Amino acid sequence: MAGISIEKLCKAFGPVVAVRDLDLEIAEGEFVSLLGPSGCGKTTTLRMLAGLDFPTSGSIRIGGRVVNDLPPGKRDIAMVFQSYALYPHMSVAENIAYPLRKRGVPRRERDAKVMEVARLLRLEALVDRKPRHLSGGQQQRVALGRALVREPQVFLLDEPLSNLDAKLRAHMRAELIELHRRIGKTMVYVTHDQLEAMTMSDRIAILHGGLLQQFGTPADVYERPANVFVADFIGTPSMSLFEGTLHRQGGQLEARIGSMVVPLPENHVTWSGGADGLAIRLGVRPEDVVLGDIGEPAVVKLVEPTGHENIVLLTLHGLVVTARLGADVRLRPDEAVHVGFRTAKLHIFDRDAGTRLNTDGPARVTAFRGLQSIGQR
Amino acid sequence: MTSAVLGNVASPRRFSLQRHYALLGMLLIAPTILIFCAVIVYPLITAIYLSLFSIYTPTLQGDWVGLENFRTMFGSPEFWFTLWTNIIWTVGTLTLQLLFGIGTALLLNQNIWFRSLARSLILFPYFVSTVVAVLVWRWMFNDVYGILNHALLAAHVVSMPVDWLGQMPNAMASIIVIGAWKYSPFVVIAVLARLQTIPQQLYEAATIDGAGVWGRFWDVTLPQLRDVLVVIVLLRTIWDFKEFDLIYLLTGGGPVTSTQTLPILVYKQAFGLNAMGTASTYAIGMLLVLLTFMLLYLARVGRGKESA
Amino acid sequence: MRRRPGDKSIVATVATWTVVLATIFPLLWMAITSIKPQSELFRIPPAFLPESVTLEHYRTLLEDTPFLTYFGHSLVIATSTTLLVLVLGVLGAYSLVRFSYPGRERLALLVLFTYLLPSVVLVLPLYLMMVKVGVANTLFSLVIAYTTFSLPYALWLLRAFMAGTPEDLEWAALVDGASRLGAFVDIVLPQMLPGIISTAVFTFIVGWNEYFYALVLVNSDSARPLTTGVMNMLITSFNIEWSLLMAAAVMMSLPLIVIFVFLQSYLTRGFAASGIKG
Repeated sequence: MAGISIEKLCKAFGPVVAVRDLDLEIAEGEFVSLLGPSGCGKTTTLRMLAGLDFPTSGSIRIGGRVVNDLPPGKRDIAMVFQSYALYPHMSVAENIAYPLRKRGVPRRERDAKVMEVARLLRLEALVDRKPRHLSGGQQQRVALGRALVREPQVFLLDEPLSNLDAKLRAHMRAELIELHRRIGKTMVYVTHDQLEAMTMSDRIAILHGGLLQQFGTPADVYERPANVFVADFIGTPSMSLFEGTLHRQGGQLEARIGSMVVPLPENHVTWSGGADGLAIRLGVRPEDVVLGDIGEPAVVKLVEPTGHENIVLLTLHGLVVTARLGADVRLRPDEAVHVGFRTAKLHIFDRDAGTRLNTDGPARVTAFRGLQSIGQR
Repeated sequence: MTSAVLGNVASPRRFSLQRHYALLGMLLIAPTILIFCAVIVYPLITAIYLSLFSIYTPTLQGDWVGLENFRTMFGSPEFWFTLWTNIIWTVGTLTLQLLFGIGTALLLNQNIWFRSLARSLILFPYFVSTVVAVLVWRWMFNDVYGILNHALLAAHVVSMPVDWLGQMPNAMASIIVIGAWKYSPFVVIAVLARLQTIPQQLYEAATIDGAGVWGRFWDVTLPQLRDVLVVIVLLRTIWDFKEFDLIYLLTGGGPVTSTQTLPILVYKQAFGLNAMGTASTYAIGMLLVLLTFMLLYLARVGRGKESA
Repeated sequence: MRRRPGDKSIVATVATWTVVLATIFPLLWMAITSIKPQSELFRIPPAFLPESVTLEHYRTLLEDTPFLTYFGHSLVIATSTTLLVLVLGVLGAYSLVRFSYPGRERLALLVLFTYLLPSVVLVLPLYLMMVKVGVANTLFSLVIAYTTFSLPYALWLLRAFMAGTPEDLEWAALVDGASRLGAFVDIVLPQMLPGIISTAVFTFIVGWNEYFYALVLVNSDSARPLTTGVMNMLITSFNIEWSLLMAAAVMMSLPLIVIFVFLQSYLTRGFAASGIKG
């Protein structure tokens, strides 16, 4: 049973706190991404999982046993580094064989396993080459091979695709997903690219400033972001966010954004009401902005055609809103239009705390609901 | 993230693996530290200890004299004269080393035929033994058979062979030049390495702005060299200042004591005059001079860096 | 004709090679003198190129003088020092660069400082120490003494080289199951090989060329290295035999020539690693 259990993990480098009170339960066989901007603590966490860095406090359990004081080699893990870290003076075969060598596996068995992995990753023709004679994609596969050959319980991957060009990256992403499905082992994947995290993970742990922001499925994280940071970080183009106040006016819940008044469904938000209203931030995703014949008057500011759709910036009551519209919509700058929001999809956040106030969620941490839960509710 | 060294000692509650790594690290450097203590730290302390005694070298018997040796040293004209000679030698040879070194480096940075061969050959004087250098130069300086005297006589520059090492100011000039000959390659290599990293675009931009050859050197090359030169000057000053082999073997400090530097004085005191305590005192004195220089130099450079 | 960037400059070539040839002229002259027959040697005026070439001086040097003994001594001393310094230096550099323990930074600075100590200060106490321990006048005493100044520089060099190798290779090795020392031997040392060779070459040359410590610590032919040995030959001879001395000078430079032919890039690499770093 090789799940990972992180309890109250803290890491400080002198006065700088990189990871703060992290609690994470990763189920066996799950693919979890650690996502966040640079400096958020995701790589530090991964390194502590690997045993390359030491927690200031807190504990890490792999497969039920505490590994804090176990050297990396004894944790039954494998790691793929951002730079691949292939041993330059060894051939591809020797690189892949190294972990087995360290474990004392006899030569014949070693060679057999290496060839098996090489075949799996289509590296048979390259086994005698040195890393410097390989392309980026090939190097990456060798790094994967070296990790696979150990048959560990947990795979740790530190932004393994960031050094590849866009097309190759998309290809490798698919390969990694396929690989995970085939071997079914726990994978912890560090990335700053939300697209990678969204497409590959069972669950995503979003980190910012060393603190866990949200831990949930891609759907959870997209549809029910726990706070403003997550809401803004996930989704391209980003959610449009506005400051305003929440009021209950004669039984009607409404949000006042500047001169605009947005009516909200009755139990949309957890709020008991108050005469002065509540300071909030209102968020609307581009696809929830609707153009029509009626609605609020707006002016087109900028149109960005992407081929399969149009990203349009609109000025509405002095605010700038991003809308995602179909490719067939023809608009020009300074054109006047009418705009509405899918009010059921509006996100309301407490302005000071940043937390989401909608009643349909969120748990900051949603439990693991089994593999293949992407897209399910 | 900058170098994340394995095992960051960040909190009082250390885990045993972390401590294990720390201990391993200390273990690896322990033999080095031991040797250091034995052949550097211990002798250094002993040297200070010795300087407080008056010791007769052959028997190594001595009496305590306290700071008497130091008082004598600071009051001795020979000490100050030797210090002065040392400074002249150091400044002279350092200046030549810098001029020759930078100039040669600039040349070797150009696109020329057989450039790598030229760069290799220029290193020879530095790596050849001082003994070899001395033998060669003494042979060239020979009054009867030496090629230098022969060339000068044949060109009618002089009418009699020159005594290169036995007369002043010839002796000082000779050792300064030979010192520059031997040690310039150090400057050449260090400067050349730095020159090769200066982006071509800086020169191109300067040319577009109207800078000529001299202008480009002054405004592009020199500022880029500043950091390397600071280090070179520091190292070479210290090494030239404590140079023993070259001067001792060329002139022995002579004629009389005209080229006697502090290291030679120390040697003479210890083994010529059999006064090991005094010799140690002079050595400490020399160390103090060097330390003072280093501190002043680094302070000045530090200030210069802030204003730059 | 407009000169393009790739073109070699004739003017610069002439200027540079003039300088280079003038600089190595003394050494060329030394080699030429050593193969001139005795008769030509003392001709006035001296001719530049020899009319006939002879190896008689070399034969005399090797057969009639203790030169070979001195050569053997120097070989032993320089090699031993290099090995000792390399082992200590490599482990020490690893410790200084890849480990973390209290006092580490201070140690590094101390190493730097000792590099600048004048040998004059240390030699007298070292002499006393050798006498007391009973190893005065032996090859061993010189190996210990040479370590004095070789080790700090070797540490500085090796540290610079090691800091220049990527860390994640060691991390990968650790994850793959290697111990720290295992990772060191399997991964770090092969990476460091150019740096180790550079340091070895430097240390060897310095040990080979050392004069002052040999002068003070050894005064019998049983342990004399080349430097003091050859100078001794010069002083004790009644007639200064320049031909012999020139041959000796050439032979003394033999290791240097060998290194230049085969390992020259390692020399410059070592220089660069130490020279540019502040």
